[in-house]
Amino acid sequence: MIEVRGLKKSIRNGNRTVEILKGIDLSVPQGQFLAIMGASGSGKSTLLGLLAGLDAPTEGAVLVDGTDISQLPEDKLAQVRGKKIGFVFQSYQLIPTLTALENVLLPYELNAEGGDGKRRATALLETVGLADRLHHYPVQLSGGEQQRVALARAFVVEPPIVLADEPTGNLDSSNGQHVLDLLTKRQREANTTLVLVTHDRQIADRADRRIFLRDGRIVSDESGKQDGNGD
Amino acid sequence: MEIDQKPALGWDTAAKIAWRELRASRTKFLFVILSVAIGVASLTGVRGFSESFQKTLLDQARSIMSADLSARMFRLITPQENAKLDALAAAKGVERTSVTETVSMASLQGDPVPLLVSLKVVDPAKYPFYGTVILNPAGDLRTTLTDSSVVVDDNLLVRLRAKVGDTLKIGGQYFRIAAVIEKEPDRLTAGVGLGPRVMMTRTAVDRTGLLQAGSRATERYLFKLSPQSGKVGDARGDLEKILPDGQITDFRETSPALSEGLDHATGLLSLICLVAMVLGAIGVGMAMRAHLQQRIDILAIMKSIGARSSDILRIYLLQTLLLGTIGALLGIALGLGVEWALPFFFGKLLPIQPPLRLPVRSVSAAFGTGILTTILFCLPPLLDVRKIRPSIVLRKTVEGGDADGKMSVWKRIRENQAQWISAVVIVLALGGIAAALADSMVVGKWFAAALCGLLVVILGLAAVTLRTLRAFLNKTRLHLHSALRHGLANLYRPGNQSAAVLAALGTGVMLILSVFLMQHAIVNRMNSDATTSAANIFLVDISQDEVQGVKDLVLHQPGVQNKFEAIPIVSARITAVDGVPTDQLKVKNYPKRLLSSISLTWADAVPEGVKVTQGKWWTKSDADGLAVVDHAARRLNLHPGSAVDFASGETIIHTHVVAIYKAEGEHVFARSEFVLPSGPLKGLPNVWYAAVHVPSKQIASMERALFAAYPTVTVINIADILDTVQGVVHQITLVIRFLAGFSILSGAIILASSVASTRFRRIREVVVLKTLGATRNRIATVFSVEFVVLGLLAGFVGVIFANLLTRVLLHKMEVPYHPEFAVSGISVIATAVLAVITGWFASFRILGQKPLEVLREE
Repeated sequence: MIEVRGLKKSIRNGNRTVEILKGIDLSVPQGQFLAIMGASGSGKSTLLGLLAGLDAPTEGAVLVDGTDISQLPEDKLAQVRGKKIGFVFQSYQLIPTLTALENVLLPYELNAEGGDGKRRATALLETVGLADRLHHYPVQLSGGEQQRVALARAFVVEPPIVLADEPTGNLDSSNGQHVLDLLTKRQREANTTLVLVTHDRQIADRADRRIFLRDGRIVSDESGKQDGNGD
Repeated sequence: MEIDQKPALGWDTAAKIAWRELRASRTKFLFVILSVAIGVASLTGVRGFSESFQKTLLDQARSIMSADLSARMFRLITPQENAKLDALAAAKGVERTSVTETVSMASLQGDPVPLLVSLKVVDPAKYPFYGTVILNPAGDLRTTLTDSSVVVDDNLLVRLRAKVGDTLKIGGQYFRIAAVIEKEPDRLTAGVGLGPRVMMTRTAVDRTGLLQAGSRATERYLFKLSPQSGKVGDARGDLEKILPDGQITDFRETSPALSEGLDHATGLLSLICLVAMVLGAIGVGMAMRAHLQQRIDILAIMKSIGARSSDILRIYLLQTLLLGTIGALLGIALGLGVEWALPFFFGKLLPIQPPLRLPVRSVSAAFGTGILTTILFCLPPLLDVRKIRPSIVLRKTVEGGDADGKMSVWKRIRENQAQWISAVVIVLALGGIAAALADSMVVGKWFAAALCGLLVVILGLAAVTLRTLRAFLNKTRLHLHSALRHGLANLYRPGNQSAAVLAALGTGVMLILSVFLMQHAIVNRMNSDATTSAANIFLVDISQDEVQGVKDLVLHQPGVQNKFEAIPIVSARITAVDGVPTDQLKVKNYPKRLLSSISLTWADAVPEGVKVTQGKWWTKSDADGLAVVDHAARRLNLHPGSAVDFASGETIIHTHVVAIYKAEGEHVFARSEFVLPSGPLKGLPNVWYAAVHVPSKQIASMERALFAAYPTVTVINIADILDTVQGVVHQITLVIRFLAGFSILSGAIILASSVASTRFRRIREVVVLKTLGATRNRIATVFSVEFVVLGLLAGFVGVIFANLLTRVLLHKMEVPYHPEFAVSGISVIATAVLAVITGWFASFRILGQKPLEVLREE
């Protein structure tokens, strides 16, 4: 599970210091699908980045399975990310010089020992409907296809936690729907904790729980699915 | 949470990931490989050329002595010495032959009037070891010179009114004149001899019985080294031990113009090689830097999916190593190709031969340098990998104190400790490579010092300028034209490469301009040294009352320049040095017999062609003083203050050494080893030696005219030898110019590619500007402003350091330095122009790219 205590983050932009997160407390149990909502600049993506250990907080702690990852040195953090956390970005962030298969294989090669990574990566790409796109480069894929590669990459090491930053933000509605279906299906099947940042109410309504951020603070925390759409 | 300690990424997996990336974007990597290749190619080419040229040059220099080393003695070698020389030949492959010189009388068959001739006894099977004896009618000395024939100087035919085919009587035996000697390669180093040259074999001279024990003959042993003989200096040491009273000389001492030329060539070629190496390294470094900077986004993605810094380090180290290796191999192929191909195009112009075998030394030096510089220059950007925050995949923010400029210098130094250490390692390693590659320690040392100085100054200057520029822009922002404002602002934008480009350009300008200035000064100096008016005819044995007449006659010959150097010669012997009588004197490789036949001369001011190296020349004709030529001083252990006693006939002269000098062989004063003020020698019997320059075509007619009026004056013709010396010097200047041109050109290409390597970081900017409606012209203007400032700044610092380095090196080489303001000014402007042109050229494709293509890749 994920536990967040008194989390604050400020960044310097030129001569200014901007306080993005002003004190967040949050607990996410194993297997929960949490949606984080808020307007632009409310601190959603920053919070997600801190949960993933992509950055260090200015103050406060992020505990993943009881370990305070905000205190971990860079290399340990990399291990946490590699083994415990999968990440899906709004702009896919595939490595342009690697094929779809190689992109999915990469976390496996970096973090797992032994096993048949290639078979698993291929199978994952098949489940996201890209069996015929294994050897294509990102630039040869559509946005929806690129995001599905990114999904496969996030799940390849079977992490207990998957974090997604507006995963459908760059996609049209049908592609977005498809990606979201795949993501939630995978989450349920593997009992993965899923934290998803979105400003789309419909997507958020599919989550087990929704928190709303405003000016770097949680202003509302709702539990329970709002409708039965989707899955 | 349990995170088990994961072992480091395996090398094989790292290699696999590195290889995949290489394979995927071939064109981008091709650029990196080509940059490495150009650097390595220029190093291979320049070193190869320089090695092959030096070999050719040394061969020609050896021909002036006909050997690598010679030992002059006044006796035959003893059986013990002979055994030692045989052992030396067996152990180190030092081959030898002897040349005997003596005087004798010769007459034409049927003509009773004899003529004093200078006999030279050689073994035509071995002599000369280098160069050739040119005969007329043309022929090989080995077949022309037999036991029953002689070859002679043209002067002998003039004097005896003889022709080729006539029979000459020497020592009661008859010899057919087989040919005229057109060129005797070692004439400059052979003894002065009296009378025209007659060359014969040892068997022939034995038949005449002229060489009896105690006869006045000089033995010269010539030695030829083989590859296993080691260095000339070592062989010389061996010979000095075996022949303690032999006067050992090596081929570098035969002509000061030549040895100076060799020194200059070695120094300059070292510099050119170092320049090629550093320019190559800059090319490699800039390419690698740009390569890794483009990969920051990819590195951040890798980190966000769990790659550790050490994993990334491993992957990219392997990748850069592979790129470096491919580039180095390609560069070597390119360099060798040029080296092999060029003689076919320039073979007639340049004294270079295509290498017969693979030049292993220069190839391995170039390969090692290529790989080493690749790794060295990858260190700083690779170490930066640790600082890349994976969060940039979410938001490209600028963090840290760099942006507000308030972070203290010390904090920055502490934060960038690894960078500083790697910078020190790079400079030390470059210095090490420089020392290993340089044949000239002086050049290596000063070169490394100038390089470090320049880097410190230019990086400091870059920081100060950029800060000043920012302050200036903050004040004047809105008054400036927007394109100018944007261009200037680009210089200090976050993540810019201004400092790196400045360092690369500035170093490049310094190196290229130093090569140009050095070659300019040295070529000028060598051309003025080897003027065509140097004396090429020596006139020997002119009596006191003939001097004026000979001078008038010679100067009235057509084409003879109005310069007639003459020195009086007084025969004397040295009786004591520092109070020690001659027979108890300990001398180093100086035949004692020479002490009893010394040629003294007088001069009341420093004569032409003489350079005082220690002490001071006298100013009054009756001063107490003695000047000694450097090699005699060394062998007799004389230094300023030493007391020397001479005896000439009944006259005893007590004097003290006041000056040690160097003599240029082409001047007549080189014929004397001891010079006194005129006072002490007044009234002593003397003859005169003279030297004059006569155009080659006029020499024969001048000899005839001189013989008609002054039959006892001997003419020694060294015109051909001087032609050889001038030819070699000319070739040195030609090759220096060629190699300097080559290194300047390849340097410019490398610098251009360094500037071009910044292009990838511009892609995003161009796209944004285009999206906002900027035209190509507008974008090109913005970039031009940036490049002009970089070019001017780098050019300015580079020019200053080039002049400093040239000044120091020329001073060490004893060549005058004159500041070249026009060249320096042009260099500054040319740097700016080069920067702008390559900037445009590199951005051309980016400017034409559709923004969507780039955004899609984002």
